[in-house]
Amino acid sequence: MADRRYETLVLIHPEQGEQGAKELTNRVRSLIEEQKGTIGQIQEWGLRDLAFLVAKQRRAFYVLFEYRATPAALTEVERNLRLTDPVLRFVSVRQAENAPPTPDRTVRRPEPEETDTSLDAGDAGDMESLGEEM
Amino acid sequence: MPKDRGERRGSSSKGEGRGFRRRGLGRRKVCRFCADKTMQIDYKDTRALGGFLSERGKIMPSRITGNCARHQRRLTVAIKRARTVALLPYCTSYP
Repeated sequence: MADRRYETLVLIHPEQGEQGAKELTNRVRSLIEEQKGTIGQIQEWGLRDLAFLVAKQRRAFYVLFEYRATPAALTEVERNLRLTDPVLRFVSVRQAENAPPTPDRTVRRPEPEETDTSLDAGDAGDMESLGEEM
Repeated sequence: MPKDRGERRGSSSKGEGRGFRRRGLGRRKVCRFCADKTMQIDYKDTRALGGFLSERGKIMPSRITGNCARHQRRLTVAIKRARTVALLPYCTSYP
């Protein structure tokens, strides 16, 4: 069977942590390779804010896999992703044969990070002060 | 691939002829994706897609953005893909 170019974007539960996300990425990589797929590139976007809550989480690790595989292999990979609990969601798309690989800049690890932590810290501060008053 | 056939047609001037009067005298909108061929519609490019969402997170109609039908179709698919992986919202800010 002819193999095709696919890409799969996977959302990993934030509780997995940086380390767990790495491990899971490797697991998916070997999964694709077991199915005789060839990996083009893997992009780790890191912890990103979600546009809305997914499984009560505000963030998730995003990992993008670009690879070639047969359609049968893709269904098998997708089936396994569905069985993997720490995978919140994923989307698989067939890429055009002549499409350039996803450039790194689409990743653009979004700004927050600092502002977010400062916000969190602010909240915590408020809570503490409240506690003291009481 | 038959899909590629439409490329040349891109944005055809539609119904400018008689019996169809354009309301107002705004300047004719041109499909942004036809004007700039290098622009790709990619569901991962949140920044580009976000521009085609209303404040509420709804997809803007082509009547407002001026996209041609072909690109509007691709755009909606891309936005919906982005929504399934929480890159874009289905809906924002409740009243």
